[in-house]
This record gives sequence, structure tokens and C-alpha cells, in this order.
Amino acid sequence: MSRNITRRTVLKSGAATFAAATMAPAILRAADDINVGSLTPNTGGGGPFGPKITASHKRVVELVNSQGGVLGRQINLTQENSETNPESAVRAADKLINVNGVIGILGTWSSSVTLGIMPKCQEAGVIQMCTSSSADIPVRDEKGLVFNFQALSPVWGRAIASLALRRGFNTFNLMALNNDFTRSMMDGFVEIVGADKVMIDPFYYNGNQSSYRSEVSQLIESNPDAVFIPSYVTDFTAVYKEIFRQGYEGQVITVSISTGSKFKEAVGEAANGIIHGLPVPPISSEAYRQYVEEAELEQMDGVQHPFGTAGRDQMSTLLLAVEKAGTTDTAQVAKAMWDVTTGEGKKTVYNITDGLAAIRAGEEINYSGASSSVEFDAEGMVLGRDFQLAEIKGGADVVIERLEY
Amino acid sequence: MSAYLISMATYVGFFMILAIALNLQWGMTGMVNFGIAGFYALGAYSSGLLTVKAGWPVGFAMPAAAVVGIAAGALVALLSIRLREDFLAIVTLGFGELIRLIALNEDEITEGPRGLKIDARPFADMFDRTTYPIVYLAMVLAVVALAFFIAERIRRSPMGRSLRAIREDDVVAEVLGKNVLRHRVQVFAIGAGFMGAAGALYAHYVQNISPEVFMPMVAIFIWMSVIVGGAGNNWGLLLGAGIVMAILEGSRFMGDFIDFLDAEKLSAIRVILIGVLLIIILRVRPRGLMPEPRFRYGRSPGGGSSTADAQS
Repeated sequence: MSRNITRRTVLKSGAATFAAATMAPAILRAADDINVGSLTPNTGGGGPFGPKITASHKRVVELVNSQGGVLGRQINLTQENSETNPESAVRAADKLINVNGVIGILGTWSSSVTLGIMPKCQEAGVIQMCTSSSADIPVRDEKGLVFNFQALSPVWGRAIASLALRRGFNTFNLMALNNDFTRSMMDGFVEIVGADKVMIDPFYYNGNQSSYRSEVSQLIESNPDAVFIPSYVTDFTAVYKEIFRQGYEGQVITVSISTGSKFKEAVGEAANGIIHGLPVPPISSEAYRQYVEEAELEQMDGVQHPFGTAGRDQMSTLLLAVEKAGTTDTAQVAKAMWDVTTGEGKKTVYNITDGLAAIRAGEEINYSGASSSVEFDAEGMVLGRDFQLAEIKGGADVVIERLEY
Repeated sequence: MSAYLISMATYVGFFMILAIALNLQWGMTGMVNFGIAGFYALGAYSSGLLTVKAGWPVGFAMPAAAVVGIAAGALVALLSIRLREDFLAIVTLGFGELIRLIALNEDEITEGPRGLKIDARPFADMFDRTTYPIVYLAMVLAVVALAFFIAERIRRSPMGRSLRAIREDDVVAEVLGKNVLRHRVQVFAIGAGFMGAAGALYAHYVQNISPEVFMPMVAIFIWMSVIVGGAGNNWGLLLGAGIVMAILEGSRFMGDFIDFLDAEKLSAIRVILIGVLLIIILRVRPRGLMPEPRFRYGRSPGGGSSTADAQS
């Protein structure tokens, strides 16, 4: 420890390293590439889904590049981790916009991340594509640059409620994790089942608690036929253990993102009987079949990769829109998004290769995706998605019902 | 590229203000504050809500955030009347969570988990889109300079010596006639005021704040900055804040160079790297990169701290 590190040497070397590290990729990159950014939740609350979205983005880009790119230009994809946290995501978005010069940031998952980076993206005129459910997303998108591939949460609530009603439940209680995704879901649920069937006022709980005893007691005290608990897997595991411990015999209903394999491992046999739902890819569709092949999955009855499929559709539609617009000017690309996805009487395409070929042949196309048929309303929100309700039986999900649009 | 560097420099500025504040409270006075995120959030929400909901001009709202920080800091510090420092750590941790949970649940005021969208930005009409980030950076650096000046003046003053005495042994300081409680409340309030100001600057910079931004992780980064830079040394923690941000952000560029790392592996490696670097720095320089100068007897109070760390 004899060598003395002075303030100046450290400052100098630090500044030099930082500058070198940040300048180099900009130099290495070919000037003519089309830059696209991917910002996915690879760790944190969205951890189970982010990597699949990332992989989908990458597959589409590699495929397009191997076929000569778009507008004769190669696609340069930069991938960042949002950590499912808006604080970190804003800085990642900053890098994508200002260093990588991307025309779009694709794959944000949590609503708080999508909304958090929105001011920066709007200011820089960068397109956003997300699978976030907050009803605030269309409201805050002032420039018409945001495209959402997920149904907004009130739609989730309404779909799950109508499927639950068909199962013959008469009384309900609701509690939800306090975040933006789950809140408006409860409103949609109550709207369908009717306020008179809800025994106590729906309430919220805070995540990351060590115990949910009092919340669960409150929820099941009046002994309703069923309880609906919109949540994330991180808190639902603890909540469900508490429900089980308190011996509730009614039906537990939640969203499928809370009941993945991690949940089933954690609670074991006790998971049997839970009903859960989420918007799903159209399983019978051609695009979904192709996705399963591309991702090298086994074809099976249940839905796989609910968000990975959306990743494929995001990248495909963006690149199709670029080809259609004939430019990378984001305002025009955003307008072209509707041209390539929405509207009747056009040629339906299920993947980017066919889509690009058709556009180049001068045909009008309508991309039908692996996550949904990808039709947008005037605000860039995806219209109807299929919805599926499943029950856990013997440790596996068994589909009970599917709503198709 | 330069836009990115300016933006990162701005974030480093926020970290620096928070680190200076923590150094006042912990580095100099020995008051452990794990509630940094809470004071930061308080400042951000105060300024944000005053402009969005109360319609205040941003020029009044931002200083008001600092005042709110000072008031909250003084209140929390008063708890230290009967609490030893380890208990203060728990109280401040609780305070941080309290503020976050209030922001999350009082959604009629704070917009809750949806996040608060803030349009107002200081001097925004006077500059165009390309120069504005530079102006904002200058504003942040001005606040850094002000905070630094105040902290450094306190450190060199007789009060600074009292603070160090309190840090080393508050009973001895009390016996010597120092008003320990008054000093503690003062310093904690000043630090909290800085944190509030940093929060306000952050809020109007990112223009969208939600409770998830103010997780305890923010406090960890600031603690890292102070520990890496050298507790007690104001220059050191400016360096520390820069290094922590350089590691956090610089590691993003690994993926651009190393092809075989996919996004998922890279995410994990970045987090590991931050931990490893912290361990290395602490192993090699246990008192930080720029340790606090040892106090020497028999020197004038003003220049007593100018000698290097000869004994470390």
C-alpha cells in the first residue's frame, strides 16, 4: 500500500476509461445501420419473462439481417436490462437514445418502466413498444409513438370476471398488490360481476411484506365463494401460503404471471385448485405455430411464452413499418405501423420474411402475430387478445376456458 | 454520445449532493442514515406536487423541497435524543420506507403507483432542446458546489471539530460542554435539506417519478459512494459518486464489446461486477480512495486538515 493514489491520477484515469468505454462502440458501429433498442426486464419482478422477449427480438433481427436487412440496411440491435425498475431503466434508455441512436425502444414490461422512460422517448422522438397494462399509457403518449402489445388491465379484469361468473361463483372479495398493473384490473372485475356480489370493498396490499396475515384475514373473513388477487409472483407466493394456512375453502383466482413454475415449486401440492388467467397467444394461429418452431419449443396444449411472442411481434412490426415508410423517420414509421398491422382486405402475413417480400412486391399487408392478431386502435393499444383461464391440477396448468377474439 | 455523457454527469451530480449530505451526517458526525431514499423521495414529491397540483412556479417549488427536507431531517434527528446511533439506523430505514409507502398509497395526492408526471422544468422556455441538458447540468453542478462549500466550511470550522468529537465519543463531547443534541439536529437537518434539493432536481429532470424509483437501493449506492471515496473527506466522495456511477453505467457497454454475452448473462455479470469492485476497493483501500485527513494537534483550526493521510 505504499503507492499513493492521488486525486488527480484517479480522476484522469477514470475519465479516460469512461470516455474510451463510451466512445468506442459508436466508432465501431457502421454508420448506415438502423439502430433498434431492446429494454427488457431481465432481472427483478419481470425476470421470468424478460429473457424470452430479448431472445425473440434477437431472432427476428438475425433473420432479417441474414436476408439483407430492411431498406437495404442492416439492423443493429442493442439490448439493455431494465431491472424492472424505472430508476435504472431511465438511464438505460438514455444510453440507447443518446449513444446507440435507436429509433425505437422495444420490450418494456412493467408499466412504471414504460411510463418512466416515456418523457425521454417522447422528447427524442423515439418509438416505444411495450407489454404494459396501465391505462395511463395511451393518455401520456402525446406524440402517438407508443404501441402496446398487451391488453390494458381493465380488460384483464373483465375477462377473468366473465370467465369466473360462468363457473358459478356468487360472492367475491378482492385484494390486489398495490401497483399500477393490478389496480385498474380490480375495477374491470367489479364492473362485470357487479358491485353487489363483492362483499367488502376491494383493497390493496403493499409488496415485499414479511407477513400478509392481517390482509388475508380481512379478505376471507366474510367467507366469499371466490377471491380474486391480482399480483406478482414475488408476493403472491407469500399471500397464498397465508391463505392456505388460514384454511380458506373457497376458490382462489389470480393472474397467471403469479403462478409460474417458481410458484408451483414453492407451494407444492397446495397449488392445486387455483384458477388463473391471462391474455394468451392465439394457440391455433399460424404465427404462434411458427413462433414455437423458431423458439425450439415443443408444441403443446398450454400457452408458452406469453411475452416472448409479443417480443417477436414488436420487432417484426417495427421493421415492417420501416420498410413500408421507406425511411427511419420515427413519425412516419409510427404512422406506417397501422398500415402494416391494422385494417381489412389486406394480405395477411405471419412473419417478417413474408411481410417484407409482400411490401417489396407492392402489396398491402396485415401482420398477424404470435401474441395476438396485432390490430391497433387509434391510440396504438392492441385490440382484442385471446384470454385463457386455467386451473392448476396435479401441479400443472389445465386450460378450462378460452375467450377468443 | 455527448448528450449521454452530459446526462450521466447530471446523474453523478445527484449522487454527489446525496453523498455530501450523507458525509455530513455519517462521515463527520457518525449519525447513520439508511433513509436517504426517503428524504430524496420527499424532496422529489414535494417539488413535483407543488408544481403539478398546487400550481407553484418551479423556482419556488424546488427551494421549498429543500425546506421540507430540513424540517423532516430535524424531526427525525430529534428522535436521536434517546436513541443510540445503531437505533437511529433502524429509525431512518423505517422513515425511508414510510415515505415510499405514503407515496404509494396516498394516490389521490401522489398518483400512487401510476407515478407523477411533471411537466415543469426550470428555465425550460429560455433554451432549446439541445442546449437545455447542459443548462440543467450547470444548475445541478451549482447545487453540488453550494452543498460542497457549506459542508467544507462546516468541516473546517470549530463546529466541524465538535462534530468529529461527537462522532468519536458523544459522552466525552457532552462532558466537554458541547451541545451534542443541537449539533446533531443541525447537521442532520442540513444533510436532509441537501437530499431534498437533490430529489427536486431529480424529479424535474426525469419528469416522471413513481414510488418504485425510491427503493432502498438508492441509499446503498450513496453509501457505496461515500465508503469508496473515503468517509469524512468531501473531495473523496465526489470521486466516489463518480466511480459508482461509472461502474453502474460503464458496465452497460460490456455487451457492445463482448459478443458471446447475451443480455441475460450480462445483467447478472454487471451486478456481480459492482460487488466485486467494491470488495476490491475496500480490501486495498480500507478507508476509501481518499481517506479523511488525520487530525493533528497544534495546528490552526483552518489549516489543520490539509495534511495528507500520512498515518494511514
